[in-house]
Amino acid sequence: MDRLRNHPLIKKLGVQRLVITGVLVILFVFFTLMSPSFRKYTTIITMTSYMYYIMLMAIGVTFPLITGGVDLSIGTGLVCYSIVGSYLMRQMGLPIWVAMLVTVGMGVFFGFFNGIIIAKLNLPPFITTLCTMMIVRGLGSILTQSMTGVWPMAGQEGSWFRDLLKYKINGTIYPVGLVIIIILVIIMSMVLNHTRVGRYIIAIGSNKEALKLSGVNVVRWHVMAYVFSGFFAGLAAIAYAGTFTSITPGTGAGFELDAIGGAIIGGTAMTGGSGSIVGTFLGVILISLLKTGLPYIGLQANWQQIITGSIIITAVTIDMIRRRK
Amino acid sequence: MKFALQRFKNLRFVKLIGFNRVVLIAIIFLMYGFFTILTPILRNGSSFVNYNRILSALNYAYFIGFLGLGVTFVIATGGIDFSIGPVMFCSALISGYCLTKFNMPLWLCLFVSVAVGAVFGSIGGYFVAFRHLPSFITSLALMQVAKGVGSIFTKTQSVTWPSGSSAASWYRDLVKWNGIPVGFFIFIAIAALCAVLLYRTTAGRYMLSLGSNKEAVRLSGVDTRRWEMLAYVMSGTMAGVAAIFYVGAYTTVQPGLGDTFNNEAIAACVMGGTSMAGGSASILGTVIGAIIVALMQEGILAMGFTISYQYVLTGLIVLGAVTADIISRKRKN
Amino acid sequence: MNDVILTMKGIDKSFPGVHALDHVDFEVRKGEVHALMGENGAGKSTLMGVLTGIFSKDAGTITYEGKEVYYASPREAQTAGIVIVHQELNMMGHLTVAQNIFIGREWKKGPLIDDARMNEEARKLFALLKIDINPRETMSRLTVGKQQMCEIAKAISHEAKIIIFDEPTAALTDTEIEQLFNIIRDLRQKQYGIVYISHRMDEIKQITDRVTVMRDGQKVGTLITSECTKDDIVHMMVGRVIYEEPKTHSRVPADAPVVLKAEHLYAGRMVQDVSFELRKGEILGFSGLMGAGRTDTARALFGADPRESGDVYVEGKKVNIRSPQDAVREGIGYLSEDRKRFGVVLEKTVAQNSTLASLRHYVKYLGMIDRAAERKVSQEMVKALKTKTPSVDQLVMDLSGGNQQKVVVGKWLISKSKILIFDEPTRGIDVGAKQEIYELMNRLVKEGKSIIMISSEMQEILRMSDRIVVMCEGKKTAEFDIAEATQEKIMSAATREIAV
Repeated sequence: MDRLRNHPLIKKLGVQRLVITGVLVILFVFFTLMSPSFRKYTTIITMTSYMYYIMLMAIGVTFPLITGGVDLSIGTGLVCYSIVGSYLMRQMGLPIWVAMLVTVGMGVFFGFFNGIIIAKLNLPPFITTLCTMMIVRGLGSILTQSMTGVWPMAGQEGSWFRDLLKYKINGTIYPVGLVIIIILVIIMSMVLNHTRVGRYIIAIGSNKEALKLSGVNVVRWHVMAYVFSGFFAGLAAIAYAGTFTSITPGTGAGFELDAIGGAIIGGTAMTGGSGSIVGTFLGVILISLLKTGLPYIGLQANWQQIITGSIIITAVTIDMIRRRK
Repeated sequence: MKFALQRFKNLRFVKLIGFNRVVLIAIIFLMYGFFTILTPILRNGSSFVNYNRILSALNYAYFIGFLGLGVTFVIATGGIDFSIGPVMFCSALISGYCLTKFNMPLWLCLFVSVAVGAVFGSIGGYFVAFRHLPSFITSLALMQVAKGVGSIFTKTQSVTWPSGSSAASWYRDLVKWNGIPVGFFIFIAIAALCAVLLYRTTAGRYMLSLGSNKEAVRLSGVDTRRWEMLAYVMSGTMAGVAAIFYVGAYTTVQPGLGDTFNNEAIAACVMGGTSMAGGSASILGTVIGAIIVALMQEGILAMGFTISYQYVLTGLIVLGAVTADIISRKRKN
Repeated sequence: MNDVILTMKGIDKSFPGVHALDHVDFEVRKGEVHALMGENGAGKSTLMGVLTGIFSKDAGTITYEGKEVYYASPREAQTAGIVIVHQELNMMGHLTVAQNIFIGREWKKGPLIDDARMNEEARKLFALLKIDINPRETMSRLTVGKQQMCEIAKAISHEAKIIIFDEPTAALTDTEIEQLFNIIRDLRQKQYGIVYISHRMDEIKQITDRVTVMRDGQKVGTLITSECTKDDIVHMMVGRVIYEEPKTHSRVPADAPVVLKAEHLYAGRMVQDVSFELRKGEILGFSGLMGAGRTDTARALFGADPRESGDVYVEGKKVNIRSPQDAVREGIGYLSEDRKRFGVVLEKTVAQNSTLASLRHYVKYLGMIDRAAERKVSQEMVKALKTKTPSVDQLVMDLSGGNQQKVVVGKWLISKSKILIFDEPTRGIDVGAKQEIYELMNRLVKEGKSIIMISSEMQEILRMSDRIVVMCEGKKTAEFDIAEATQEKIMSAATREIAV
């Protein structure tokens, strides 16, 4: 076992990530065997479509988690940003790229807002982002007069943004969004592991005082973690609009848990200091696979919530026990 | 001026309930006045002063208040419980389903409601106190579980408790009987019980003390885990009680909802002077806080705004209250 | 002789109530290892704190490389080349060795960090120091000794000229110590100025060139290490006139029953095979230097930390103490050295703190606290202990250190503890209040309580104890009756030579 653990390939990937990959394969095989209707190409398309926005949120929220904090505002945030974007297009006639910019911009703004309050005023991250969660939830409805958000549909002007996720050639749909996701995972992995901002975000979660003593401007980098989270919530807002046809204001609560759950399963510790984007990527796939697969074996969609909840508690408990040792 | 303020602060009544609470009570009256003046201006002659509005605000205050009372215990120990809103709905759904589909006796269903809450509280408490999980993530996860359980139990359908004034709906008399807000008296009575539990019993003493310094309490030979868990059990149980008053007022419950109420209940607590840092809590503050939250909601709707404004305001209020608490703590040290 | 690189002259520093440094002179030369010795509280750390900008000095001058200097923060001192290698390491365990060494000043290649170069530079540093550490290894996976070597490497990479080691060997194994010494010798060769703070006499003899001894905030003298003996140093460390009368003989009758017996306690590295007996009416002093394992022993005995093995007998009966609850039930009370963290609940009142360990006895019905009884008993206790507080409703936060201590004593007396463990009972308490605490302890034993007193103050040990247990590095190294105990004997046992 130890020899296996020290194998260079396994060391590079990490035991936890290998275990998740194994679980993924087993689950996939299980669903395939249990349900004939699961074995379809369209299942994969459905799964990926449902996965994009969770994945984007999860990549972003990994950063606050690594600092030892959390961002609960991303779920209602993405719905808010998305309907504001739609409002700009439909009611104010602005071009789609402006709407996309504003959508992402709002995410960055609220990320910054969270970051300043947490890093500068030292409020607990969970209570701060909970408040932001409430604020953006209401703000979305207020700014758009509670109108349902609708982004350009296929065939309409500006529907090209949907092609970023699903591209149709000769009637076959290709999940091209997956390519974008993989590119983003690679980029953010680089940011986390090979840039200063990533390095300092890990250091904040590991030992904030030591970092301060090394003469690093801790507040600045701490804020950046939340800006990342907000930025990706903005991207997730666009992905959400690309997957779903209409967006109801005031929803979105609970999305953040799928994202946080994905990150925790992927090996990001609630205590901060360690985490990986690739792990988050695998964790989200696992959650999405469960979400898509369970209805095929006869479990109602609502089991997902119970399963997400249980997975989070289990993952955190395991992490706690491992850390005790 | 300063002298007058000092003299006011020294009044016996003011000292008894705390200056901050007096300010909060004043805020209730100010808000009431504010809505009374603005509602006719914004909504063309419609009036805010109306007995039914008070009743409607009270309906909202009850369940927010019960949730707030419960979570006050958890916050006193230095934790947080984000599961109370969905747990309340889960309780209402399961007990309502028992009532309408299984035809169980009403009193038993009310008991089931409280029990469901207690079970959720126990699970959360176990993981936080005995397994040392962070309370916020545990309760968030439980929130999802509660939503899921509620939906599955009722097969994703909303549950409507019996309405009208038949014998089968005597539970509604707990909220309002012949136009008399009975619920208010029950609310005050239960709040008084909570105050006794928190301030006068060993359990409450331990919970408050471990919120300020858990290790010192443990080294005094107290099993802190047990009392920390009890706080979560209280929180869950009160969510079960809140469920009864929610259906008593509104009769219909939908699955998958309830999380907005967490924030309002927490807002009621922190507004009332319960510190997120743990160790100090005010039951009276939570009661007043719940009334403010309810009045605010009633006023916002009366003035013709949507509930969304309530969300934004609650968020800002909690941020403000927690910041103020942190600053005042810093100044003390 | 080598050039003097650092001269501290007439350094004076007072904290409220304490004259921590009384016109101290100190100098460091290039290429020397200069030991700084003294009991806990002698002023070593304060002196180094003044040097590195942690404290500001009240008077005196610091001359470094020929210029008078003043540093406002450790960071300024570090930039100038004066670095402390701390006992508690300031490391980010999740990052790699190289990442830790160069944190805050990473090389960049475009937008990315040049980790390859960092690893290479770290490798060069380690080669220079002749240390075998992989720069890519995660910091938390290294042993404490290796982590410390990384700190040294970090110091050197900062172009330090003076490196201060604060008890560097406390957590190291023998081979690690040997490695560390090789590094230090190497640094000496390379003309670094090294300050070496340690209690271990044999190390001082092995590695240092000169030794400066401090006592009670004053410099006693500087010796050439090779020309002095261990006894010379011990004598300088303890050679103070003891103003208060030390106890000359035990006041415990020879036939007093044993109330507490610990046999072969083991709990982690800091409690290794500790056995002792405590008799009724006795004050058993636990002496030793900081980190000798005395507090660990007390906490293991009290059930605050898990115990690996060993038996505890209370009044001859074997007891199984697995948590503080068990200990309290057996009549043991523990007064922690860190009162604010482990002793009192600062934000609660005197009355509430007083009954914290015995609240279940003050219950009327249904768990309701009998507040009248609670107030009454705490008022009595306040009166009996002469605690200065306006009322029992005062928050403990607002009391002085001595009075907080009395509240904790009261808590255990109210819970009817028979055995009290006082861990550094007078730490952070001013002189007058100290006297009161001593009188109180004497009164308690007269009334039939038994006390274990952990103290790092030699005077306190000699003045209060009937019998003295000395610990060193987690082991019991000596036991004296008060009649035969001397400062020298105790200090010698506390700094026992360790086979290297």
